[in-house]
Amino acid sequence: MSKELILMLHPTFGVLAMIAAVWVFVETMNVSDANIARLRQASVLTAILIWLAYIVGGYWYVVFYGGDKAIIKAGPWPFAHGLFMETKEHLFFMLLLLATFLPIAAYGDVVKKQVTKKLVLWTSALVVLMGLGMEGAGAIISMGVKVALLAKMI
Amino acid sequence: MTTSQTSSADAVSAKVTGYGISYAITSILNALLVILKESNESVHGLLVAITGHHWITHGLLDVIVFVVLGAVLSRRDMNLSGNTLITSVVGSTILSGLIVVGFFVL
Repeated sequence: MSKELILMLHPTFGVLAMIAAVWVFVETMNVSDANIARLRQASVLTAILIWLAYIVGGYWYVVFYGGDKAIIKAGPWPFAHGLFMETKEHLFFMLLLLATFLPIAAYGDVVKKQVTKKLVLWTSALVVLMGLGMEGAGAIISMGVKVALLAKMI
Repeated sequence: MTTSQTSSADAVSAKVTGYGISYAITSILNALLVILKESNESVHGLLVAITGHHWITHGLLDVIVFVVLGAVLSRRDMNLSGNTLITSVVGSTILSGLIVVGFFVL
């Protein structure tokens, strides 16, 4: 598998996980005995997709990122690594654990207990918000490489 | 509605409470470990020595702490209201996020 394909799989799994988390949120807002199974399936799917994003992105980060890091740091946007990559790589662990917690909460009594429903709503919303943050940070990191390479050409 | 009924309605299962509190604690520990390893070369070196990369070790530690702490806390009667659990999950996410971002900004 090419380096570029591995890199593209990371945000792809991330976006799919966010869509799944939105799905969990919507199912939870309208939760009943009729949709609880679907809600729980969506929560498991969210966790699986975030784990896939973590494994693929982590492999790319450990094996290939060193080259990009050197390019970014020598370019006009060193903060793309110093702030955005450093923050992203460490906050991702929280997203990973939050997404792992989501199905645990979803397998609680979401139908009958309002507070469990509220917990699942908050957890899925945090997964979406943190996922958006990760996607945004990823875009800035990619731009950091791009502007550094463009600066070299000028 | 009696007090015990209110308490029952506001409670979540022991497993959900255990893993929720485990998440809250682990996310704060995660943020503190970021500061520790980025400020202390020997801690950073230790994390590298364990798996070959500081980030892999950091992630493994987070997952292990979350799972072990969650399993342990799930077996205890935490006597925690659901709203307190939600506040802990959301609050720890915001706090640890601010710690990590703040560390790299400053």
